Amino acid sequence: MTVDILSSIKGAQPSESVNKLFDVIKNAHPSNNNTSNTVNHNYVSVSDLREDVVVESSAMEKQLILENFPNKKNGFLVVAKVIEG
Amino acid sequence: MDSKIKEIHQQLVSKQITCTALVQEKLDLLKQNTYNSVNSLLDSLALDLAAKVDVKIANGETIGLLEGIPFGIKDVYMLQGTYTTASSELLKNYKSPYTATAIQKLLDAGAIPLVKENCDSFGHGSSSENTIFGAVKNAINPELVAGGSSGGSAVNVAKDYTVFSIGGDTGGSIRQPAGYNHIYGLKPTYGRISRFGLMAYASSTDCVGPLAKSIEDIRIVLNVMSGKDPKDQTSIASSEISEESIATSAVKTVGYFKNFIESDAIDAEVKADFLASIEKIKAKGIAVKELDFFKSDILVSTYYTLAMAETASNLSRLDGTNYGNRIEAENLIETYAVTRSENFSEETKRRIVGGNQVLSQGFSDEIYLKGLAVRDQISENFSKDFEEVDVILSPVTPSTPPKIGDSLKDPLAMYLSDAYTVGFSLGQLPTLTVPQGTSTGLQITAAKNNDELVMQFANFLKDTI
Repeated sequence: MTVDILSSIKGAQPSESVNKLFDVIKNAHPSNNNTSNTVNHNYVSVSDLREDVVVESSAMEKQLILENFPNKKNGFLVVAKVIEG
Repeated sequence: MDSKIKEIHQQLVSKQITCTALVQEKLDLLKQNTYNSVNSLLDSLALDLAAKVDVKIANGETIGLLEGIPFGIKDVYMLQGTYTTASSELLKNYKSPYTATAIQKLLDAGAIPLVKENCDSFGHGSSSENTIFGAVKNAINPELVAGGSSGGSAVNVAKDYTVFSIGGDTGGSIRQPAGYNHIYGLKPTYGRISRFGLMAYASSTDCVGPLAKSIEDIRIVLNVMSGKDPKDQTSIASSEISEESIATSAVKTVGYFKNFIESDAIDAEVKADFLASIEKIKAKGIAVKELDFFKSDILVSTYYTLAMAETASNLSRLDGTNYGNRIEAENLIETYAVTRSENFSEETKRRIVGGNQVLSQGFSDEIYLKGLAVRDQISENFSKDFEEVDVILSPVTPSTPPKIGDSLKDPLAMYLSDAYTVGFSLGQLPTLTVPQGTSTGLQITAAKNNDELVMQFANFLKDTI
């Protein structure tokens, strides 16, 4: 798949400047090619997971979510046309 | 400079000033300013909160240290009911439905938010020119860039429009503008402050942090915002840093990266000033050790490879379906594509496309996974360094701030200008910019979770160089 499709950006092309950065990585020789992530432990322990509870949004939060919706008609939230006629 | 927070607190308590007058004065300054540091003013909210503080004081009630202190917020943080645009066309009318944890903690402590501050769109930039609100001008020389991406925040603090501001640092976005505008800026240890409610750029290096004019103010604000948050599972528990604990420095050995200073890219004056600072530190009886480190191009390339991959994922949600400036087209897929093509800036598109390149089949092994492996090595290198030295000192940037307009012409040069900040982001280390030592300041870095030592050494440097 091309990057314009992957990125959902019309006519997108790889950038020359960015490719130069990637070339540096392609030519790098890390001593260990398998990422072991021995230093940055950002994972969460199973015993430390937060409670799986449903938290009701406040009325103000719901109102703002509705306000942010891009398209409304006759009290309905209108999504983009999914099925072609 | 001594604590502005404590000075204002004293003035409020002793009724030398009212909170309303203070907030109004700052709002007027922000409104009239010509530095493009403001995306939106929170005037009615701020004045309402100020009036409440004045009532408390008039009633003889005790107020907390941060109560009534005006502050600024980079426009990538959620604050319920306020515009949160990320300086982008796509979200120019977006209102936060909820409030970020770090900001909520400041509100709970009584601090008063004044302004959502200009920055590079989605944090994508090192100059605060990639914004729909106009390039932010440097506080010292308005012909130059403010730095970025937290440029508006740095300028507001430098010009005393805010007492402190909350920036975001993914690869240097607090430290570099702090250096360019001669103030303090801290990127704490990754996870020390919850990222909940910060618009994600690159989740594995995104950090919340304060910008201020004194180490003491950085300490006060850091303490309030720190702590484990169930809403951000990468956040960590930490202990409060006391004023006494950073008053004297326990640092015995300082390291610096030889290749940063011997690089061809470093400005001659920055180099000379840095080495002069090292001599002053040695003269105080502290051992200084030269350290080997990865070449700048490896650091920058590793950082951008991973940051672009992460931002491509994080920004994939921005398609105009539930929020944002949707542009309707003939079907859903076209609507996504047109919305994103028309609303993202060139720099943001460049990073999304780069991220999807490295994540796509055939490239991920060669670039993305290799980037992760290099990052591990960088982190291991830091672990070894901190067995030998207490802190690492570095310049913030290789050169002085560019003129407004120059960075946009040459993206590669802009990426390479982050050479001294991105390594510490990849290592998730606490790093503070101090406005001393070189024309764009110095960075002090310590091992993970050693934020206290960074501030201790900053206090030492204040009296040494």
